[in-house]
Amino acid sequence: MAPISRRHLLAAGGGALGSAALAACGSPVNLPSSMEEVTPRPGGPSRGGVLHFGLSTDPANLDPHVTTGAASDLLRQLTYNALLQYDGDGEIIGDLAAEFGWADDTTYEVKLRPGVRFHDGSRLTTKDVAFSFRRMMDEKTAATTGPLLDLVEEVEAKDATTVVFHLKQADSTIPFVLANPTANIVSQRWIESGVDPKTQVMGTGPFRFVERIPGVSTTYERFDEYFEPELPYLNAMVFQPMSDDYARVTALRTATVDMIDYVPATHVDVISENSRLRLASDRSFGFGFVGFVTSKPPFDDVRVRRAVAMAINRDSVLETALLGHGQPIDGALMPPAFARYSGSLDNTMDHDPEQARFLLKKAGQEGLTLPVVTTSTYSVIARPAQAMLPGIREAGVDVRLTQQEWLTFRASVEAKSYPVHSWGTAPKFGDPASLSDFLGSTGTFTANTDFKDERIDQLLAEGRRTRDRALRDEIYRDVEQRALELVPMTWTVRRQQGEAHYDYVKGYRHPPKGSWTGVTLRRIWMDKK
Amino acid sequence: MRRFLLTRFAQAALQLFAVGSIVFLLVRLIPGDPARAALGEGATEEQVAQTRDAMHLNDSFFSQYFGFWGRLFQGDLGTSLMSSRPVMQDLPNRLGNSLELVLVSLIIAVTLGVLLGRVAATRADKPADHALVAGSIFGISLPVFVVGTLLLMVFAFLVPILPPQRFTTPWQDPVAHVQILILPVVTLTAASCAVITRMTRAAMLETLSADYVRTARSKGLAEQRVIKDHALRTALLPVASATTVELTTLIGSTVLVETIFGWPGVSSLLMSAVGQRDYPVIQAVVLAVAAVVILVNLVGDLVVRALDPRAEEA
Repeated sequence: MAPISRRHLLAAGGGALGSAALAACGSPVNLPSSMEEVTPRPGGPSRGGVLHFGLSTDPANLDPHVTTGAASDLLRQLTYNALLQYDGDGEIIGDLAAEFGWADDTTYEVKLRPGVRFHDGSRLTTKDVAFSFRRMMDEKTAATTGPLLDLVEEVEAKDATTVVFHLKQADSTIPFVLANPTANIVSQRWIESGVDPKTQVMGTGPFRFVERIPGVSTTYERFDEYFEPELPYLNAMVFQPMSDDYARVTALRTATVDMIDYVPATHVDVISENSRLRLASDRSFGFGFVGFVTSKPPFDDVRVRRAVAMAINRDSVLETALLGHGQPIDGALMPPAFARYSGSLDNTMDHDPEQARFLLKKAGQEGLTLPVVTTSTYSVIARPAQAMLPGIREAGVDVRLTQQEWLTFRASVEAKSYPVHSWGTAPKFGDPASLSDFLGSTGTFTANTDFKDERIDQLLAEGRRTRDRALRDEIYRDVEQRALELVPMTWTVRRQQGEAHYDYVKGYRHPPKGSWTGVTLRRIWMDKK
Repeated sequence: MRRFLLTRFAQAALQLFAVGSIVFLLVRLIPGDPARAALGEGATEEQVAQTRDAMHLNDSFFSQYFGFWGRLFQGDLGTSLMSSRPVMQDLPNRLGNSLELVLVSLIIAVTLGVLLGRVAATRADKPADHALVAGSIFGISLPVFVVGTLLLMVFAFLVPILPPQRFTTPWQDPVAHVQILILPVVTLTAASCAVITRMTRAAMLETLSADYVRTARSKGLAEQRVIKDHALRTALLPVASATTVELTTLIGSTVLVETIFGWPGVSSLLMSAVGQRDYPVIQAVVLAVAAVVILVNLVGDLVVRALDPRAEEA
């Protein structure tokens, strides 16, 4: 082999550098600059413009029926419609439904809007609706809404405009389920053509899918034939995942993006004090909790569970972890926004380290060593877990906190490797029936605590069957009262959670109740030149 | 040379095989379920089990292992468990973006580092030397995330002349691309430049006192020529070796830089894949980065041989 001369070597090196530089061309889709133009309309919302959105999570998939969290719900609701939706006040209104309501105790009827088209131009039919619900109810889909439809016997396409839900027994949660961000309607023909709905999108929503580059961006453009002829006002929306809290807030403050979700508590003040930014938030849904493995000692003893619950100084947790942006929960889990009984249970779980010490002594657990696990991935969960430690130590408990990356934490909690876990989440929808997730023996979160109480199960079933609002209030109050006595979990703080955007972004409303939903993003416009 | 190249290529192939196998094993030992990541927190046990089956995670370990290598030999890096996209659809662009950051930073770090090292060595024990030594200690000591955050704070908020912008390719807008490149590159360059400055200074000080340099001077050669043709040339040998090490350090540092500045590179792809336990993406990214590092070391060895023919005999 001929020796390689230094010149050749340098030339080859230079070539390699050049090739590498040429390869550096991965980027979000290049929307025409004309799309950025906004046309003002006197007396009405401006038209045009591209909204750049800094999203807290890069959704794992775009399947219309499988959610991976609030960020993926937000994306989904711009390209798909459900039968029902929440308005800006959190009230349930029609989405694809022109009319809806109970025909009798076990029959729920929905009449479709006329003239709804999918993005491929085909018309929406009642058969598509029935197919969509069959897909959700099929275990193979692993649909998020699937388990909520357990009392549905059959979904019938009665005629060209009417869909009927025949139930096995009365179920007052049906309207909430139909408004769920993952109860989307898909085209039967499209799904059966063999597409992969995890990566392809084809709905009836105001925006059409353009492109997704995992970890970089998801781009939508307006669907000109959307059934509400005025909508959408924007030409396009570009979502850029920014999982780091600081990076997301910095992107907003430097106008790299026009809007962000999941404003971290540590930055609420920074955003509120900026006159060009607006914060839209609630204190209803997001909450922190501590779960006990109730099947194993020492937490099979309710006195020990109660002692830890009373040792937590919720006011201090709120101030330290969330800088006061939220509310302590010393009573009912359900907030006053969607549970009228809520206030009557306030101050039930006061901070009382002396009483906690006493209970531990009675249970023979003085000097208890307490391993607690939480996640390091989400500050909104990790910070409250850290902030509750001094209170628990004050009660004489040697608490040891382990922080794990999200999926490792999930595995630890499911395996019940730690007797106590500290977590944060939100109710599935804005109705006390959501309590079954945390307290019902078949609840997804209850599975981590091994908790089962016949009385609570009975009450939860009764609440779901009942449509009388006053009676439901009584039932769910009893559920919460009993949960406060048995303490399979103890609620800590309700956090302020919301989105922030520039003042030129108009028309956005954060729902005060109902569900975290991005549905009002369909109606936003930009008031800028 | 042919034998050297063959041996090194065989070693490189073995190294890649070892890296691939270790990563394949390790990612499966990490607790956490990709099916759980794909379904979110509200999924039931039955749904998770169903999805695990659909993702072929219930196949035997060996079936998955041999399937992985079998596909790789056919040029298929696999398909993402989360997005269902072929990994090859995203990896080249993301790797390209990262390599752009790394290579631009390295070129600046080497050019500036050698220049400053030369200045420091030729002005040994003078104020300029002291300032450069102190500055390089500062550059080495500061972690990348501190430099990046400080730069962002200063140039995005205090003196907003370089606020972060949306990522734009050089082909879309060359000026905007250079603007968004500046802060990440400066962040990455700081530590490497400091290392190369110190390395060049030390190597030059050693060569400047060598006999052959004294001989060159005694022959009446101009000082600049002595430095350029004799001292610097020899001093560059350890610098060339150090450069390959710095390049691998830079690749590691991009994880933080890409996060701070929202740069769509391979590190952020890897971070999100690890967070979701997206095994095929993790394996492909680690293999690609390992291939780059192995290639860099190979090229580094060739450069050293080219600069110092004695290395071939050894």
